Order: sequence, then C-alpha cells, then structure tokens
Amino acid sequence: MSSLEAGADDFAYRDAPEPRALTPASPRELKRLIKDWRAGRATRNVLQAISDAYVAVFSAVMIGAMVVNVILKAQRTIAQCTSVSCLSARAILPWAAFAATVALALAASRLFGPVLASAAEGFWLLDAPISRARLLRSRLIGAVLAAFLGGALVGALVAALTGSTATEIVVWSAATALSAAASVAFAAAQQGIERHVLTRVATYVFGLLGVGALFSVVGVAAEWFSLGLSDDLGIEIGLVMIAASALVLLVSGVLAARRLGQIRRARLLTGGALVSGISGAFFALDIGLARDIVVERRAIERGHVHPRRGKGLGLEALVWREWQRLWRFPQPLLVLAGTIVVPYAADALGMSTLTPVFAALALFGATIPLLGGLRVLTRTGGLARCLPFSLARIKLASIAVPAILAGIWAVATTPAYLGFGDGAVERTVPDASLMAIATAAAGLLAAVRWTQAKGVDFGAPMVASQAGAFPPGLVTNLFRGFDVCLLTTAPMLLGLSPMWSLVIATIAAIILLNSMDAEAIRARQAEQQKLLAQQKKEREEAAAAAKQRKRQRTRKL
Amino acid sequence: MAKRATILKVSGLRRAFGPNTIFDKFNLEVRTGEAIALTGRNGAGKSTLLRCLVGADRADDGSVEVCGNAMTETSPEIRRDVATVIDDLDFFPDLSVVEHLDLLARAHGIADPDEVVDDVLEEVQLVPQSGQLPGTLSSGQRRRLALATAFVRPRKLLILDEPEQRLDTEGVTWLAQRLKSERQEGLAIVFASHEPELVETVATRVIQLGAPRG
Repeated sequence: MSSLEAGADDFAYRDAPEPRALTPASPRELKRLIKDWRAGRATRNVLQAISDAYVAVFSAVMIGAMVVNVILKAQRTIAQCTSVSCLSARAILPWAAFAATVALALAASRLFGPVLASAAEGFWLLDAPISRARLLRSRLIGAVLAAFLGGALVGALVAALTGSTATEIVVWSAATALSAAASVAFAAAQQGIERHVLTRVATYVFGLLGVGALFSVVGVAAEWFSLGLSDDLGIEIGLVMIAASALVLLVSGVLAARRLGQIRRARLLTGGALVSGISGAFFALDIGLARDIVVERRAIERGHVHPRRGKGLGLEALVWREWQRLWRFPQPLLVLAGTIVVPYAADALGMSTLTPVFAALALFGATIPLLGGLRVLTRTGGLARCLPFSLARIKLASIAVPAILAGIWAVATTPAYLGFGDGAVERTVPDASLMAIATAAAGLLAAVRWTQAKGVDFGAPMVASQAGAFPPGLVTNLFRGFDVCLLTTAPMLLGLSPMWSLVIATIAAIILLNSMDAEAIRARQAEQQKLLAQQKKEREEAAAAAKQRKRQRTRKL
Repeated sequence: MAKRATILKVSGLRRAFGPNTIFDKFNLEVRTGEAIALTGRNGAGKSTLLRCLVGADRADDGSVEVCGNAMTETSPEIRRDVATVIDDLDFFPDLSVVEHLDLLARAHGIADPDEVVDDVLEEVQLVPQSGQLPGTLSSGQRRRLALATAFVRPRKLLILDEPEQRLDTEGVTWLAQRLKSERQEGLAIVFASHEPELVETVATRVIQLGAPRG
C-alpha cells in the first residue's frame, strides 16, 4: 500500500499509553546542568589560564606589593603624629569612609537591582516551573557577600591609612563590611516590593554624612571646633555600629529573601543587561564605555524632564545647556564639594608634600561626571558635526562650566596649601594660590584627557606580547588622565616652584585642546601628501616623456 | 534662466578596503534644487560614499568640495552648510527631545527658535515626546529626532543615509513629501535609499552603485 492510499483505519484513535507525569527539575538541578554545559565548552582550566597570563599575574603581584608597602609606610608615618589636626583626622576619616561606603553600596544596589538575572536566565529559567525565590537566593547572597568583602577592604584600608591600631582596623573593617552588606540587603528588600524611595533617601543621607564627616576633619584641623574623640570612644562607637549593622542585615536579609519571588522579571533583566554591558566594556578595558552605560541607564530611569528653554546664541547656547544639564543632575556637584576636603585632610594628616597629588587625583575623579557633554560630543562625530563650530571651540564651550567650577575649587582649597595642619609646610599666599591653581588645572585636564579617550580599536593590528596579542592602546588607555595628573603635579611633589606645574599644564592644555582637531590636521597632511605624490608622478611622467623624445631623436640621427 | 549654483562637487573619489575597491573615479556634481538618490544592493558602497562626502570617512583619492570649500569634517563653514543624518548621530542622554532641537537652532544663530522647533516637532510627530530623554525613545522615534535635527537648522546640502529606516509607511510618505518640497525650495540633497517611493518622489537623478544583483 502506498502512503497515498491510507484507509480510515490508519487514522483511527489508538489507545496511547497514559502520558507519564513529569517531575519539574529543581533550580539547583537546572543550575548544575548549565554549569556542566559551560564547563564542557571550556578549553582551558583556571590554572592553564593563569599560566597563560603569567605576566599579568606577576604584574598584579608586583603592584599589590607596592600598594601594601605604601600603606604600611603611610600607616607608620601617621601613627606617630600627635597634633590635634592629625588625631582628629585619624578619628573621623574612618567615619567618612563608613558613610561613603554605605552610600555607594545603596547607590549601586539601586542601579543594578541588587538582585539580577541575565537575559539567558530570564528566557530559559525564569519561565520554568520552578520557585523564583529559590533560584534567586544565591544571587542575593552573592550580592550581600560582595558588598561585605568590598566594605571590609575599604574599611581596613582607610583605617590603616589613617594610622589606626590593629584593633581599630579590625573594628572599622567589620563595621564598614557589615554596613555595606546591610545596605545591599535593605535595597533588596525594597526591590521585592518595587519601592526605591527609602533606598534613594538613605543614599543621600549617608552621602551627606560622608561629606559632613570630611568637613569636620577640616573644621577640627582649623580649630573651628573640637570633637574630643578619644581612641577608646572610636572603638566603642565602631562596636555599636557593628551591632546596628548586623541587626539591619538580619532583618533586611529575611525580608529580602521572603520577597525574592515577587521581583518582576523585567526588573531582574534590566540589572542583568546593565551588568552584561558594563562587564563587556570592562573586558575591553573601556572604562569610558562602562560609564556611558551607567549614565544612559540613569537617564532612562528618569525618563522624562520638564523641558527648559535655552539661552544665548552660538557657542553661548552650548555653555548654557551645559549649565542646565548640570542642575538637572546635580549629584556630581556634591562629589566635587566633597573633594575640597581632600587637600585639607592630606595636610592635616601631615602629608603636605603629597597634597597636590592626592587633591589632583580627587578632582580628576570628581570632574569626569561634569564632562558629560564633552564625552557625547567626542565619542562619535555625529552630534559635533551638527554644530557650526570648529571642534576646538566646541570643546572649549563644553569645558567652560567645569573649568569655572575647578576655579572655585582652587580658591576653596588655597588655604590647605598655606600650612593648614600642625607641622605642615608653611607657604606664602601667592605660592599657595599658584599650587591650588596648578592642582585644579591638573585635575581638570586629566578629566578632559580621560573623557575624550577613544575606545580601543580591536580591528587594528595586534601587538605581540608574552601574555598574548593585544591591540595597541589597550593598556595605556587605563592610565589616561592619571598621567596628566602625575606629570603636572610632579614639580610640586619635588619641591619645585608651582610655576613649573603651570607650564606643564599649559602645554597639556594646548595638546588636549588641539587633539580634537587632529582629524583636521591629519586630513590636511593627507591632502598635502596626495599633492606631493601627484607632483612626483607628473615629474616622473615628464622625465619619462623627455627620455622617450631623446631616444627617438637618437634613432633618427 | 540663471545657472544654478554647484553645491557639491566630487572628483575622482576612490575608497578601498584592502584589496576590495568600493568605488573608484567617482564623480558627481550636485546643484541647488537637485536630489541625487544612491541605490544599490547591500554592501555596494552607498553608506561609505556618504561617509566620505560628509568627512566621517577619508577617501583614498579624489576630492570633495562643498560650496567651493574643500571638505574637512571639522570646518565650521562645512558644518554650517551641510546637514547630515548618517548612522553616527549621538544624543545627550540628559537633554530632552525639544531641548536638543532648541540647542541646535540656537547654535546655528536662530534667535527665537520656538516657532521653528515647534513646527519641526509637530511635523515629525514628536510633540508628546518633547520632554522625554532620548534613551526612552523607540528606534522609530529616535530616527524622527535625527531627521528633526537636520530640519531645524539652516542648510544648503542635506545628506541622508537610508532616512526611511525604522519609519512606518505613513512616515515614509511624509518624508518623501518633505524632501520633495525641500528640493523644490532649492536645497541640494544626496541620499541613499532602498525605498522606491522615496526615490521616485524625491530624486532628480538616480545613481546605481555596485553591480546589480545577477
């Protein structure tokens, strides 16, 4: 019988065996399955990967050893100080670190989730008939644990750098670690009920407390007021903070775990997509891109604004818009205000010589968020092409507002260079002013350099190294900005006149301001080369024709 | 009748990527009121040619002149005269739709830009989104905003790379009519497109790039 001759009997219902009831897999089984797949596709184990990148590992060990050495040296120096300003800074700075870490943990938690899932997990796992709470529990624990470790590191580092005793280091490390973990747990509990107001308010409160603590360092060192904090009191307060943080961690952790099943898939995937974008940028060592992703996400969170009319014409309009954009997202101003304390704190801790370096690095970090306009105008040429100005002028307009703020910063930090703390190097007002200006210029120009850095071109020919092939600029991109900071402040560090720093800053400014017009310069060079090549070709053709004529004449003769 | 002014002059343009020559000895002259449509299969070199015309990419040989000035992407004169919508347009993440248009109009010296901005917003149907930040716009709305940036400012030459991308049918019809009226008012236009309606309505000349599909 052919297949086309099927009879009715062929389609008759036949008793099929009862479908077997399937038991859904548990989240643990699914995770193990995915882990097996991933491991099965790996071509190298961890040890082989480390052995491949031994140069990088060796470098990390070397740098780590240097950092530890610097910390120990600073710890020894500061531990010996007896002045009021130094003792007050030692007592208060761990507080500032504590508050700043909590604010940072809360802000990061709000940005990423803190509980999140990747797009693949969202598609394959979150739709599966499994308990979402059980699936996400490890994520919550992971986020809390990461905050704990990060907090412990920051707490220990700051306490060590301020010359604290071993007991104090342990206490502040534990307090900062537990508070950071509690902050993440608290944010996760809020995430479960889709409320973020409390997390946002807590972020600002702790941010302001951090800035307030830094300002009190300056206040005590300037003898405006005294806090009378003894070493014992610091430990006692630290222990109280440990207990309070542990309590918040416990309560928030329980609440967060109970609410894990309620977190919407979309919210989980948003955080996952952000992490995946940022990790991609970090793998390419493109920190600028990572920042762009975060900035874009924050703007999307805001979504809608009340439009404001612009002011002025031409470049003035661009400057006004920069100002308006800053007032729309004013958080960077808070950070900038916080960095004013850095030179005072460094001076109060007896590190007068290093003050310009620390201050410039702090300003560098604080100025980057102020240069968002410059970043957008330089990362692709599209928007700048819409504006009828040369790139150098666009750039000047984009940095006008940050430059004014850096100028104000310089004025506000000038007293730090006069010899602020007890036993600090005393300087004249003109010298101190010049140092403050040079430091501000270093920070601003470093931020400009960092902001306009192009991403690494992975399409370019690779450079061979012991650690494998990598594109040119991959490593140097990491140091962009830091180089300007260190180079500009080097004369002050070496005890030379700040005028030398200003000269270096001027040269850096000229290079950086014209670097955006490098395209035009290159185009002109290419045009000139083309012309030269054409002239050479014409000359060669003329010479060849002359030779030809000469040969013909010779033949005729 | 007075001879129309030459806005864009391209002579002997050549661009190659390694051994692959995208175009060679390409010549083009566009006068006021002319619209040139570049058509051709994917990879024929339309976008590369447009990128060379606006200075975003550098040709290996040949020259491009806009209103008598040699093309340099950073030249303020060129930027004043040429409005472009190609794939590298970026937006400030924290400026709303209407603020972008207001900024561009003011940067180009339009003292009271409200009327122009409102008209363009109305035309691209982004009035309800005027206060939104670009990150929240759909891909079609972003495309409309990109087109609006070209229409809100003075221009002599308009260069567009597949402007119909991500526009709905109604949007393509609007764009075709808008570009046609721009051309009739004397604007020079060079655009790449795969949309027959746009090419037929707007173009005064069609240039087919690359070999036709065999």
